[in-house]
Amino acid sequence: MAESIMSNHIDTEQKLERALTEACKGLPLRRAPSTLELRVVDELERRAALPWWRVSFVHWPAAPRVAFVIVCIALVAATFLGGVFAFMGDRSFNEVTALVLSWVQPFLAVMSSAGGVATLLVRVIPPLWLYGGLAFGIMLYVALFGLGAAAYRLYLRPSSVGDL
Amino acid sequence: MRAYQDMVFSTAARLAGNDTQAEDIAQEVFIRAFEHFSDLRTSVTAGGWLKTVTTNLTLNYLNRYRKRWRLFSEMRPATDDGDPDAPEMEWEIPDTILAELSAEQRCAIVDAALRQLPDHQRLPLVLYHFEDLSYQEIAIKLNVSLTKIKTDIRRARAALLPLLQNGGAARDTLDG
Repeated sequence: MAESIMSNHIDTEQKLERALTEACKGLPLRRAPSTLELRVVDELERRAALPWWRVSFVHWPAAPRVAFVIVCIALVAATFLGGVFAFMGDRSFNEVTALVLSWVQPFLAVMSSAGGVATLLVRVIPPLWLYGGLAFGIMLYVALFGLGAAAYRLYLRPSSVGDL
Repeated sequence: MRAYQDMVFSTAARLAGNDTQAEDIAQEVFIRAFEHFSDLRTSVTAGGWLKTVTTNLTLNYLNRYRKRWRLFSEMRPATDDGDPDAPEMEWEIPDTILAELSAEQRCAIVDAALRQLPDHQRLPLVLYHFEDLSYQEIAIKLNVSLTKIKTDIRRARAALLPLLQNGGAARDTLDG
């Protein structure tokens, strides 16, 4: 019974495919609007009239392209070196190293303390609570995702012919 | 350009389902062709090149607008309307469709019907029936699963049939 229904269904689909293939075969081309050629020519003229610095970088002449790359590299280098020299001032290398370390050490201490607190919490809180919290977070995430999908399907999904 | 403009416009119009967008796409295709003019001028495959560029540009054009909604639209599984293999077409399938009409009349009815299909059905259907791509090639081109392509094409055909039949009946009435 089920095989018969499936077989009829496949036959129907193949018949429809053949009928549509026949209907679409040999259709003449749509005539392009008479304005198309003029539009293309106008756009080409407009693009050709643009100065070289208004077009894409890959279409710049070779000399400005090379000059632009050199200027960019020089600017990056000057910014970096300027920053380093401004920071160092008249300090020696050892002084600068000590200063940087004095900034890094409190940061490392804070990170270490945070790690200690996290380890303590994991030991103190029962595993059931931890897994429960994790599951709750995942559930909220899935719910948010589902709400977004539902809202899209309800309000934003383009209507299909079947809906018309 | 004159030799190919109808082909480029037709391809873009059938894929996009919108003549204004098709004209924009055709303009961009010919501008790109102009940039490759030295290669294309003597090439025997210029027509194929233009067709490929038109198809790709149209898909890019449509992608630009559907990308943000793609995640959600494709979350809808191909089977969420029930069994994908369940019969959907309860009406009689004729042996031929619009066969009694002239090619121009058929063209007008088919193009009008295609415009009524949603993008996710029209694109694979046009690529299959007009561009002669296989299901696998369409799935790769549209970057969606083969199952979804097959389902969308099957639904597109089912949706297109009554539109074509209504279009043909309306034409008969007008002619009568």
